Amino acid sequence: MSSLRDNLQISALDLRLSIMAGVLVVMAIGFQMATGNFLSPENVYNIAQQSAVVGIVAAAIGLIIVARQIDLSVGSVLATVGVLISYLMYSKGWNWMPACLAGLALSWGIALYQGWLTSYLGVASFVVTLGGLVSFRGVAFLVSSGRTQPVTDPTFLLIGGGLDGAIGATASWILGLALCALILWKLIQGRRMAKMHGFTSRPLAIDVAFSVFFVIVTLGFVATMCAYQIPSKQTPQGIPNPVLIWGVVVGLLAFIVNRTAFGRYIYAIGGNPEAAALVGIPVKKVMLKSFLLLGTMVAVASVVAVSRLNAGTASLGTGMELYAIAAAVIGGVALAGGSGTVLGTVLGSLIIQFLESGLLLMEVGVGQRQVIIGQVLIVAVVFDVVYRRATGERMQ
Amino acid sequence: MSHSTDTLIDIRGVSKAFGGVHAVEGVSVNLFAGEVVALLGHNGAGKSTLMKMLAGAFPIDSGEIRVNGTPAKIESPADSQNLGVETIYQTLALADNLDSIANLFLGRELKTRWGTLDEFAMEKAAREVFRQLNPNFKNIRVPVRSLSGGQRQVVAISRAIYFKAKALIMDEPCAALGPEETRMVHELVRKLKAAGVGIFLISHDMPDVFGLSDRLCVMKNGKTVGTYRTADVTEDEVLGMIIAGKKVTRVPELQTNSLAAA
Repeated sequence: MSSLRDNLQISALDLRLSIMAGVLVVMAIGFQMATGNFLSPENVYNIAQQSAVVGIVAAAIGLIIVARQIDLSVGSVLATVGVLISYLMYSKGWNWMPACLAGLALSWGIALYQGWLTSYLGVASFVVTLGGLVSFRGVAFLVSSGRTQPVTDPTFLLIGGGLDGAIGATASWILGLALCALILWKLIQGRRMAKMHGFTSRPLAIDVAFSVFFVIVTLGFVATMCAYQIPSKQTPQGIPNPVLIWGVVVGLLAFIVNRTAFGRYIYAIGGNPEAAALVGIPVKKVMLKSFLLLGTMVAVASVVAVSRLNAGTASLGTGMELYAIAAAVIGGVALAGGSGTVLGTVLGSLIIQFLESGLLLMEVGVGQRQVIIGQVLIVAVVFDVVYRRATGERMQ
Repeated sequence: MSHSTDTLIDIRGVSKAFGGVHAVEGVSVNLFAGEVVALLGHNGAGKSTLMKMLAGAFPIDSGEIRVNGTPAKIESPADSQNLGVETIYQTLALADNLDSIANLFLGRELKTRWGTLDEFAMEKAAREVFRQLNPNFKNIRVPVRSLSGGQRQVVAISRAIYFKAKALIMDEPCAALGPEETRMVHELVRKLKAAGVGIFLISHDMPDVFGLSDRLCVMKNGKTVGTYRTADVTEDEVLGMIIAGKKVTRVPELQTNSLAAA
């Protein structure tokens, strides 16, 4: 495997993402052949929309796992935040915006509490957030008094997608083309800068191949979203809002990981916490900040979830922590810390949703679906172990 | 000492206890610019703890550290680095999952004017430093876990070179190295010394100590046994101090505390 990489001059990371993208393609073709309508615009639209909530949380929880921590409380916190937002809107008559800000503040408060216990007091995050998993589900019940809090604000409901919750064809194409322009600009700029500094870049063909692949995926996705038209409507849907929000979250987190010192410190702490402290990285502060970042994204995911459901209930996001962690792990985030990518969590979330949707269309029962998804998680981890051994990342 | 005016580091009566165990007790030792002082002692003698206090990894319980004659407040590794003290740990303190460039600048990244990481500036500077240390070191963009022991050592040392250390702490720098790489480290120590860098060298290896150091300080059970000019003592006498904690009386001990010297 390493000789293949030497020939292609691509990193173990890129190869891994390529393999996962390949798995998605194979799954898509397989399900399409088995069901005949897996790749229909309607189904792809639904898959994208249904992946968003878990995908947003998976992207952020990936960073926590990279830093050698875990957060089991995200599903319960999502419920607590969601119930608070819907309670403030339904029972207290708040406008949606201040209600969402109150939800964000609560999520930050919880992140500060759990993050402080973990980072500054040194309590294992597994224990802290296991407590949180139980407690905050209870808080969600207390806030809502066990009742479902319906939400009717039309602006708020747009966030979660639904009938009008997409940006339409024109905006979708503008966004898609802008993204393609950005991909190509990054390619040209990267090679120009490398040349200017006298560094050798990767072979042009590889760089171009990656860029072209992303351009095709982007335009293909936009075209599919614009091909979907709800029968009762005059115009095609375009990109649904939850997917747009997911995209923004992924872009922001990828920027933090690749372009900021904070992002680099998360990886350094995951790779070697002692070394990170010895070279002067403020380990505790970085850890607390990463919990706050996750808290922010859980609040965002909560808003999307409540809006999608048209209501806040105390059972919102039950078991979601496991799906988010599974998505991150399937996406190549190592539970041992120090390794993983934001893009990988996107692919991981999609693999889970592909399975859910494909098996559903094949009319596989819920029991069998759960068995299969659970075993796929194990296959992903086995692949992870074998792959890391083959690429020399792990010696034992 | 001919350059006694340039006391770079002056450690005065420093103590450190971990839950009732005195790891370091009232230790005084100083370091001049352009000098190599070897620290010797058994495992657990307190030499690494002493150096970790200077490096900011452990806070000091009592006593003080002066840098260039002024009392220094060293509460974190960043404080120590800001005072011009660099440390090469025995473990090298490398993040194995990051590449050489990221490790060189870890904690002190170069930024663009927008506050983002300046990868190109860092790669350029890193290539320059690595080239000085080892012209054959080319695979700088792979995670350091896949590098050889010598290359990893180069990455750890490159921090001290790039950030222009005034004082350098080297904890067992040659312990895990082959003969070729050991020679490189020795050469580097002499070069840095000639450039006026003061070096604390923790070592168990007698050839290292006698080949490189100007003075040596032996510690036992958290206290100093004695500090001598390396040329004045024999290997056997040094071993006697390390094992039995017996002071050498044949030659005068060097006063390390400049207060006492005055």
